[in-house]
Amino acid sequence: MSAESWSALSLSIRVAVLATVLNALVGIPLAYVLARRKFFGKTLLDLLVTLPLVLPPTVTGFYLIVLLGRRGWLGAPLYEATGWTVAFTWWAAVIAATVMALPLLVRTARAAIESVDRDLERAAHTLGRSELRTALEVTLPLARNGILAGLVLAFARALGEFGATLMLAGNIPGRTTTVPLAIYTAVQTGESGEVLSLVLLLTLLSGVVLVLAGRLGARAT
Amino acid sequence: MTPAPRLDVTLVTRVPGFELDVHWTAGDGVAVLFGPSGAGKSLTLACLAGLVRPEAGRIVVDGRVLFDSTAGINLPPQQRRVGYVFQGYALFPHLSVEENVGFGLRDRPRAERAQRVADVLARLGLADLARRRPAELSGGQRQRVALGRALAIDPALLLLDEPLSALDLPLRRALRDELRATLADLRMAAVVVTHDFAEAYRLGDRIVVYDQGRVVQAAPRTELLWQPASETVARIMSIPNVMHGTVVKATPDRIQLKWRGQLLEAVNSPAHTYLPPPDTPIAFFIRPEYVRLIRKDRGPADPSHHMNVMHGTVVEEADFGTTWTLRIRLDEPGTPAQGAYDLEVEVPHLVYEILEIDRDRHWEFSIHRGSIHVLP
Repeated sequence: MSAESWSALSLSIRVAVLATVLNALVGIPLAYVLARRKFFGKTLLDLLVTLPLVLPPTVTGFYLIVLLGRRGWLGAPLYEATGWTVAFTWWAAVIAATVMALPLLVRTARAAIESVDRDLERAAHTLGRSELRTALEVTLPLARNGILAGLVLAFARALGEFGATLMLAGNIPGRTTTVPLAIYTAVQTGESGEVLSLVLLLTLLSGVVLVLAGRLGARAT
Repeated sequence: MTPAPRLDVTLVTRVPGFELDVHWTAGDGVAVLFGPSGAGKSLTLACLAGLVRPEAGRIVVDGRVLFDSTAGINLPPQQRRVGYVFQGYALFPHLSVEENVGFGLRDRPRAERAQRVADVLARLGLADLARRRPAELSGGQRQRVALGRALAIDPALLLLDEPLSALDLPLRRALRDELRATLADLRMAAVVVTHDFAEAYRLGDRIVVYDQGRVVQAAPRTELLWQPASETVARIMSIPNVMHGTVVKATPDRIQLKWRGQLLEAVNSPAHTYLPPPDTPIAFFIRPEYVRLIRKDRGPADPSHHMNVMHGTVVEEADFGTTWTLRIRLDEPGTPAQGAYDLEVEVPHLVYEILEIDRDRHWEFSIHRGSIHVLP
């Protein structure tokens, strides 16, 4: 493989790993809250998290630019305060991948949490556990396989993210060109032979991930 | 002076389509909440444990106020020290038997915790199963683990929601008696929910009868069996032979009533305060096991030994293993009281065989006034 291919692969893996970690930090509490709590705006929150699953990724990317771009709602104050903008950095790729993968984790984890018998949580309450301790000791361990399956799916989604990444992070070789972008560039410039190994690698990886997620999901029920 | 009740419960709460409004007390021993499904029994337990917050009311256990809506007291479940045995047991499937039992003891020092868990396991005969997972246990063992987990925290109050309903019938009987012995041993305030009257009677010292979110009677178990407070209670207990007649004459001791062309005499309710005027409709029941068939081989019946004498024909019968249930239709014109028959009578197998009831279908029988129970 060429140096460009290696660089794209290493970037892709870093982006996907970091996006998966961010997914775990944000998505698991979010899934728990959606599964177990009633609150004002729950439907809206659910909608916001799920939308990237059905919107064209470029539309999601567009919203991310509106939010985080140098003149974005959050991006502008950040730029004024620090002189730094997230757009067109590898962090942008991480954020795009995180947002795109989040619905997969949240939906899978939420279903797993909802399937935990509520009497187990009630039992934990009568045995002295607060809601947080009950979640950590009972609910989440019992939903573990579903949550892991969700994380595996999120990792796969992050690895293959294209549209939103292109919008927010661009396609800067060595900085934001992930594997899917490298493949696109190679085909556009007629060098598809160059990236055949990347295509096969990505296919193989995604296949492994699907089998893994399927097994975890089956054990979760 | 009567001692203060150990448990004093007043609850008012509404969920869509259902209103719970109950007050009852219980002293030493086991209180059973008995009634049909959907009467509000489990909701009451959830309120006692603090898992559901009632709109109004007061819960006092041994002088300790767990909930009082007017005083703004509402202890969270973690602080109530209430041991809860859930229907279906709700054992933590990812933890071993000893981890389940020790779950409520996390704040205690390790050595004390281990000792307490070992004590509870030994007491319930679970010591050999300490490292098993719930999935590897039988139904009866699971029930004991659930009980042990609730007992380990040394609860001020023990709640059991249909503790036997997850078990097969033969096991259910055996464990019912085992549970009765364990509860008698513990001498702690305990509340058991069941919709099975035999279970309620075996487990409870005091039975609180629920119907549609209300308490229809609360009484010691024998009192409930002999003096259901109303027709509703008799129906919920599925007492056979609940009849409707009219009052002929009522005195504080006796009530004469007319039913199916018969003049019957019954003992009045023990309160001696039920004095309906003549011609009032009255409900009563006759215990099937207290109807006496009169032998034909001993000459005519001696009126001093028999009262409330009637005649009828056996129209249906069913063998219940040790007893026969006979359905008798009186020699009276008109519609029988219970569809095709008037009275259900229970006789032991031996009596059935000696009297050759399979051959001889027409009988004279009597009912002592003490076995006809009026339902005010």
